[in-house]
Amino acid sequence: MSRRFSTTLEIEAGEICCRKCGHALGPAGAPWKRHAAMTEIPMRGAAGVPYSGGERVVLRRFACPACGALLDSETALPEDPFLDDVLFD
Amino acid sequence: MNGETSYVIATDVGGTCTDTVVFAAGEPIRIGKALSTPPDFANGVIDSIRSAADEMGIPLGDLLGRTGLFTHGSTVVDNALLTRGGAKTGLITTEGFEDTLLVTRGAYGRWAGLAEEGLKHPVKTDRAPPLVPADRIRGVPERVDYKGAAIRELDEEAAEAAIRHLVENAGVEALAICLLWSPYNPAHERRIRDIAAAVAPGAYVTISSDIAPVPGEYERTSTTAINAYAGRIAHDYIVDLEAQLAAEGYGGPLLVMQGYGGLLPAEEASNRAVGMIECGPAAGVIGARYLGGTMGDPDVIAADMGGTTFKVGVIQGGALEFAREPLVDRYHYVAPKIEVVSIGAGGGSIVSLEPRTGVPRVGPQSAGARPGPVCYGLGGTEPTLTDVMTLIGYMDPTTFLGGTVPLDIEAARRAFEARIARPMGMDTNEAAFGIFRVAAAQIADLIHEITVERGLDPRDFVLHAFGGSCPLLAGVFGRELNVKRIVVPYTASVNCAFGLVSADVVHEFAHTTMRPVPTPADEINALYAPMVERARAQLADEGFADGDISLEWSVDLRYRRQVHEVTTPVRASTPLDEAGLETLVRDFEALYERKYGKGSAYRGAGIEMTMFRLSARGRMTRPEIPAEPLAGEDASAARRGKRDVFVEAEGGLAPADIYDFAALVPGNAFAGPAVVHTPITTIVVQAAQTARMDSWRNIVIAFD
Amino acid sequence: MDPITFSIIRHRLFRIVDEAVITLKHVSGSAITNEGHDLMVSLYRADGSLLMGGVGFLHHLTSAAEACKATIRRFGDDINEGDVFLLNDPYTAALHTSDIYLVAPIHHGGELVAWSACFVHVYDIGATNPGGFCPDAPDIFTEGFSSPGIRLVSGGTVNRDVMDTMLNMVRSPEMVALDMSSMIACNNVARERMLALIEKYGHETVDEACRTLIGQSEELLRERLRELPDGSWQSRQYIDVKGEVFKVALTMTKRDDRLVFDFSGSSPQAPYAINCTRWASLGGLFAPLFPLLCFDITWNEGVVRPIEMIAPEGSIVNCTRPAPVSVATVGAIQSVNNAACAAIGKMLDASEKYASEATAVWHANHFAVFMFGRNQHGGEAIGILTETFAGSGGARNFADGIDVGGEIPNPISRMANVETLETIFPLRYLFRRRMTDSGGPGRYRGGAGMEIGLTPHDAPDGGLHYVVSGKGADFPMSEGLAGGYPGAPNSYIWVKNNEAEPDPRNTDAGFSRSVDDLPGEQERISWGVFPLMGDDVLYVRWNGGGGYGDPLDREPETVLEDCRTGAVSRETAETVYGVVIDESLSSFDPSATAARRKALAAARIPAEAAE
Repeated sequence: MSRRFSTTLEIEAGEICCRKCGHALGPAGAPWKRHAAMTEIPMRGAAGVPYSGGERVVLRRFACPACGALLDSETALPEDPFLDDVLFD
Repeated sequence: MNGETSYVIATDVGGTCTDTVVFAAGEPIRIGKALSTPPDFANGVIDSIRSAADEMGIPLGDLLGRTGLFTHGSTVVDNALLTRGGAKTGLITTEGFEDTLLVTRGAYGRWAGLAEEGLKHPVKTDRAPPLVPADRIRGVPERVDYKGAAIRELDEEAAEAAIRHLVENAGVEALAICLLWSPYNPAHERRIRDIAAAVAPGAYVTISSDIAPVPGEYERTSTTAINAYAGRIAHDYIVDLEAQLAAEGYGGPLLVMQGYGGLLPAEEASNRAVGMIECGPAAGVIGARYLGGTMGDPDVIAADMGGTTFKVGVIQGGALEFAREPLVDRYHYVAPKIEVVSIGAGGGSIVSLEPRTGVPRVGPQSAGARPGPVCYGLGGTEPTLTDVMTLIGYMDPTTFLGGTVPLDIEAARRAFEARIARPMGMDTNEAAFGIFRVAAAQIADLIHEITVERGLDPRDFVLHAFGGSCPLLAGVFGRELNVKRIVVPYTASVNCAFGLVSADVVHEFAHTTMRPVPTPADEINALYAPMVERARAQLADEGFADGDISLEWSVDLRYRRQVHEVTTPVRASTPLDEAGLETLVRDFEALYERKYGKGSAYRGAGIEMTMFRLSARGRMTRPEIPAEPLAGEDASAARRGKRDVFVEAEGGLAPADIYDFAALVPGNAFAGPAVVHTPITTIVVQAAQTARMDSWRNIVIAFD
Repeated sequence: MDPITFSIIRHRLFRIVDEAVITLKHVSGSAITNEGHDLMVSLYRADGSLLMGGVGFLHHLTSAAEACKATIRRFGDDINEGDVFLLNDPYTAALHTSDIYLVAPIHHGGELVAWSACFVHVYDIGATNPGGFCPDAPDIFTEGFSSPGIRLVSGGTVNRDVMDTMLNMVRSPEMVALDMSSMIACNNVARERMLALIEKYGHETVDEACRTLIGQSEELLRERLRELPDGSWQSRQYIDVKGEVFKVALTMTKRDDRLVFDFSGSSPQAPYAINCTRWASLGGLFAPLFPLLCFDITWNEGVVRPIEMIAPEGSIVNCTRPAPVSVATVGAIQSVNNAACAAIGKMLDASEKYASEATAVWHANHFAVFMFGRNQHGGEAIGILTETFAGSGGARNFADGIDVGGEIPNPISRMANVETLETIFPLRYLFRRRMTDSGGPGRYRGGAGMEIGLTPHDAPDGGLHYVVSGKGADFPMSEGLAGGYPGAPNSYIWVKNNEAEPDPRNTDAGFSRSVDDLPGEQERISWGVFPLMGDDVLYVRWNGGGGYGDPLDREPETVLEDCRTGAVSRETAETVYGVVIDESLSSFDPSATAARRKALAAARIPAEAAE
């Protein structure tokens, strides 16, 4: 039985999975982002003219390495750690 | 006709019913009722008049042929907005300000009109869909500044291109034109209107400086859009109604009610759709004022509770309160409009328990007319306030609505027991008494807040209870509010139509400009002179003699750096002299403190006048309500035995005298607890209250 | 207790707050109170705990409770019938000095039975800069009048000495006096109505109803928390001041029926006035929590009990006196609002039952621009641009964010009309409209923000000055949810164009349609006091709401509609949403769109990650 993690992820048989293709992203109860495909793009110009902020600011996009579905994104400075979300058992 | 009685007919089209009253000197008031017939409301109007004619035993043609005046209020514009049935509308704005209508002054359009549940739950809120979507809005280069100076000329080619785009590409049928600061300088708007007339003669055009010449571009734009959107419908409706009335034999004038409580000749009204918004409830307040005046009560709280809504209007010293931020179906507009506060509470309000706490509540959901209360047997399964009324003995199952609707009390009891009483762990009667108290307390809270908002004290007011449900509850919430007394008017069921015949023809004029205090009186008079001239000519044109014309001046004033403006009537004779102007300013200060509280006035930064208003009134001859001679107090001839009903002071059932309204005669009096059944409602007189039928057949309830 | 009487009393308590709010707005008459709804009125129990929170600026509900408690601690037995206390020291309870609390005890039969409290953002507080936001204040001592608790009214009589001393320290004392009158009147109404309620039902019954109400709220929130999954969620907010970056970091952990907000890892307190105190942080997290988790629960002490906050001492979210805090409400407090909103949104999105309550962050960056100077009528004008209250909505699990739809912590604000602002200030707006591409992309798009251009007009002194503060323009702050992009960041540009053109009549000079068309040197600003003189232009663009979900999942028809309404540009439609639209915006190309979307998805997988 699957359990919801977010609108893009679910927990299936003890693993965090992409809801689109079912690809597994590591065990439930642990951070999943290092198992995702991550691209870091400059925030400036990320989605049009008004994205005009600081040069060092990035948009991290965490995608399913199998299907490319966008699973989560976060604003960051490159040196800052990932924001980790965990569901307990 | 052969010199017979001349009738005055008033017909009010409401959401459900179309009501008619027929007056003639020396004759009793006749009433007609029919179902409203949206979207072709005119049919229901004819049906309703025919029903009155039937009651009088004469053919419709005879009645209309002998009628000298027809006054009318209709929900046609409200309905067009509610059903999104208006024209495909385009909007032209000042370039750079195309989004004014869409962004509704930020969150304002998202939360305006929401109750507590909505305000606390922003994630589940949204704006109403705009009447004009973004792709039908075009900005044109031009600019007027805050003084009215045209600091950038109108680009006429761009204006023409915008009109052509909207009409030819976007297919709009109506154009709203609203530019920044047009109240101070309407030249650019007028020029665009002229261009539209030339290049798009088929489009219905409204310019903001005509329909709402007041600063504040969001509300003005919204008003203009509403008027353009519903304009054609309102216009065609009035033209059609005139034709139908003429075909049935009517040859007199048609006067149409406005939201500010005055009548306008059909032709003028047909170009002011926004004026007709909520004109029915406005007429209701006018009716209450007239009745209050007749009874010698200048201070009235008029409460109307029907199946779905509870509406309250406040009349103070015979003066009406105007709405500051009127809304229609969550759209803002600016037009002079009598304030009628409305909440979703009525006989059809569903009684439920909060799912997680079990705390009982009344509304906000309503069973409406269909399926309606359980006891109507029309398929309703959720207990409503009306069901509670039957359980606590207030309704007589055999005489409800003249015996036309049999009430299934047992079904109501079963539903109430299963859904409310048992889950609350209470006896059915106890639970029903409780729900009744909850409903009465909520209404008392609402009315209290409304009076506080106006700086008033409910204890100074007489409560008029209108509608099918109000007279059942008024004895309890009226007591809680400590009103002077309660009146259940004889015309309660057709109150709005009654208001129509007690209204005058009123034209509203306004000149928007800023003047400091002090400004020489001559300068003010010069602002008024053209309005006065136009007003006199117009009323004379409509056949009013000089003696029946009155011109009422009023001025909006505010303390500088403060947001509240107060419309202050000019009491002195006009044109003004310096002393009269001083009186005006003094009156403003007194009004301000009354409304906004002691210590709220801040004279330090000075006072300014922001709008100069003129109400031009053509006084109509009001039909006299015949006063009947008073008979004795003994009401026993109308008594129909006793029944156990909920008596609040007892906290439970107690025997009450039951009276038949039709058998009461003026002068009869009786003590509570008592219940009076009328063909349209039930009046409950609580313990320690005395009811009396006055010479106009109103039931007046006094506290012992 | 008897559910009927309880239902009646609960309804009345809410109405009492409502009536008091009406009184506050009436008497005050100021734009920030009446338009911005920058106010709060609530009722408190005899011990100062929150009884009935009103719909106002919600981060004040709990800190005003602390104000009542601080007053009790300070004055002990010397709290008498008809007293009103003033408190605005942020290190005691308040948020910043210009949000003044007036708290008033309510006595019945000689016994203290309840408190009412309210606040307005007063016209001025005598700080370094007019209006109260002081970007460069080095410490609390330069942030104006501040009191940890002083008796303003004794037994119904205003203490003239106290009032006059306070008014002696502020600009435009008449306006501040009006603010004070409004709060006194508001507390009076609350007291009268509360006493009438007690008269009718008796102290015992009302007291029981209040206790029940609090117990019920606690039980309801705990029950809701139990329905939500256990887990921990992180969020982060950045503040940029003059190139220095500060962080508010949050790990929110939910276990069973408890919710812990841990701000460990947030930056040490800043030398700038963006800091906030502990009580401000607590209020800051409750501001979104009330409407997001307690939309159907009475906002009171019961809701406070299951919540715990960890805020490291000496950090930007729990600063140590005398750190400056005057910008807190649009600084670290708002960062706390945003961080809490983002974390709660993630938690809701993890629940089948409550996913439809999940929202990306709304309006994360107030741009509190305070204008000051002499206006065209010769008077003094100090005032906030009320557009700052007109933020944009975050996208939700079922719908787009609302364009210019407001904010969560202050749900019922509004902005003034251009025609009102052009009357108050010697200014002319060049434009005020929605900003294309400002809403965060996602399957559901974040609401659009706006852009405005302002230039002096008929200014007797040639122009005005303004204070700009907040959280800077480097970072987007309205975070997206479940992959949705954040809304675009704020932008402030000072366009220096002092070589005045001749009469602009009949020319397009002075009527530029966009910031790009403006002549003159452009300087990006975000912190400090600046002139707006001659033909200078102040350009402000504010953030859009965060998006929700993958932008490639957005219906192509909807993206096309976005382009037609100006919410999204054709370029962004293609590069971010992967929807290929023809130049006339008449249709999208289905096969090109499918190919583009496939390519964009593939590009998210770096070569080394691809299997």
